[in-house]
Formats: sequence, structure tokens, C-alpha cells
Amino acid sequence: MKSLKHFFPSEETTLIKKARAGDDRAFTRLVKHYEDLVYGFAFKVCRDKEKAEEIWQDTFINVYRKLNQFDGKSKFTTWLYSIVANNCRMKRRKTKLEMARTYIDKPHVTHDSFESDDRGRNILTVSAWRDTPLDKIMNAELKSKLDAAIQKLPYNYRLVFILRDIEGQSAEETGKILKLSIPAVKSRLRRARVFLREQLNEYMTS
Amino acid sequence: MKKEHLSCKKIANYICTELDENTDSPQCREIKKHLKSCPNCTAYLDSLKKTVRLYRKYPDPKVQEQCRKKLFAALELGKQKSRSVKKRSR
Repeated sequence: MKSLKHFFPSEETTLIKKARAGDDRAFTRLVKHYEDLVYGFAFKVCRDKEKAEEIWQDTFINVYRKLNQFDGKSKFTTWLYSIVANNCRMKRRKTKLEMARTYIDKPHVTHDSFESDDRGRNILTVSAWRDTPLDKIMNAELKSKLDAAIQKLPYNYRLVFILRDIEGQSAEETGKILKLSIPAVKSRLRRARVFLREQLNEYMTS
Repeated sequence: MKKEHLSCKKIANYICTELDENTDSPQCREIKKHLKSCPNCTAYLDSLKKTVRLYRKYPDPKVQEQCRKKLFAALELGKQKSRSVKKRSR
């Protein structure tokens, strides 16, 4: 899970209470504390800095106006993520990549080839991915491959993948944020991972 | 699922769940057993893990000061309150 430093739950509750009462300094502190979480999540979903900035601004305006609606029953971050996810959906413009996406709702695992062994069982033949430390291969080319792959992933799968695998939210929290059941979260996560792995397979084995 | 007929295709179908659920279910135990003797499925699982790690390694962009200024200006924070902009729903 994303670590947010120097901020204790009791401090958060106090700040929210003060901000709700109209204390602008408390609201400013909330913004500064959560700004990178909101911006990072928005960017990971839309892969566009300009759009992420707009989502960032819209989100904090929503938070400012709707802070009284936060009932404290869920975590503040859960509430915040759900606002960002909604704003991402609203800002969504179908890119050429997304429109040309592969349909992934059908159970489908891999494009790697299956061969049969002498007992008729399917044997998967997979080329191993490069062993280079991932830090060393994160260059502009790979970034553009990662961007292109995730932009082909349908939104509903993309949000689950980012919340679960990148933001580190639990299946339960992800379900609350996206209003999905836990089995639906797990199913979408599985398909998203497989889809992205296939998109990157050629690059990572060449 | 018959243990002796667990194929790579079936393993590949369930391997993703194994990624984040380190359970001790019969299915998980079978997957782990299969992985020990199947380099292809091991390579497949490794590539799935690397996929996730690559996205985690992608550097996070940071909010620009300009962006923050625009927000605070839009909300008129620190200024005389304007009802139209600052109005909150109750």
C-alpha cells in the first residue's frame, strides 16, 4: 500500500473535521498530503499528464464541496480513490488504442502455444522473459510499451489492476471503491494481468 | 480436478490467483507441485510477476506547483469566501 508519511489517523480525522468546519488551512494540509496519491492514480489510469492535472483539480474541488458527505465509515483514501475513479471515467476519451482493444471478457489465458505430451496433456511452451534487473530497463521505449499496453486494457479492468497491483489496495477496498464484489475484483485482476503480460511478451522476450 | 491430469493449460488458468493468494487449498498445492517440475509454467508465472513489477517501477509523476496554485485560486483559499465557488453540499 502507498505509504503516506507523517500523518496519523487521528491527525487525519482532526483535519477533516476542521476542513469541514471551513478551516482553509486544514483543507490545504489535506490537499498537500494527498496530492501525489491523487495525481499518481489519475496519471496511471489515463497516461496523460494534462488530463491527470485536470482530474487532480476536479477531484479536490469535489472533495472541498462534498467533504460533508464523507461519513467516516470507510477510509478517507477509499472515498478519495472513488472520486478520482469517477473523474477518470468522466474525462475518458476513447483513444484509438482503446477502441482497437482486444476483447478480454471471455476466459482466455495466453497466446503462448500449447503442445500435447505423450499422454495428451496440454504443455505450455513459454519463452523466458529477460533477466535484466527491471530498474535498468526502465527507459523511454519500455515506458511507451507499458503505456500502450495499459491503454488497450478496458477501463473497468485497468482500474482494478492499478488499485490492486500498483496502489496496493486490498480486494475488499478495491471492491468498495469501484462498487464491485470481491469475486468480480479477482476475476478482473486475473484477466488484466494476463492481458498486459501478453501485450508485453514480444518486447520482453526479444 | 484430477491431480494426475493437471495440465499446463489448467495451471495457466489458475496461476494468476496463486500470485496474490498464498492459500493452502488443494488447487494451490497442486499448482505449486506442478511448478516445481515444469519450467514452462514457472517461466509463465515469472513473466506475470514481472509484468506487475514493471508497472510498479514506472516512476510516479509529481504534482506541479502551478497546478496547486490553480486549485487554490479556483477555491479562493486564503481569500474572502465567495459563496458561488466555495459552496458545499450538506
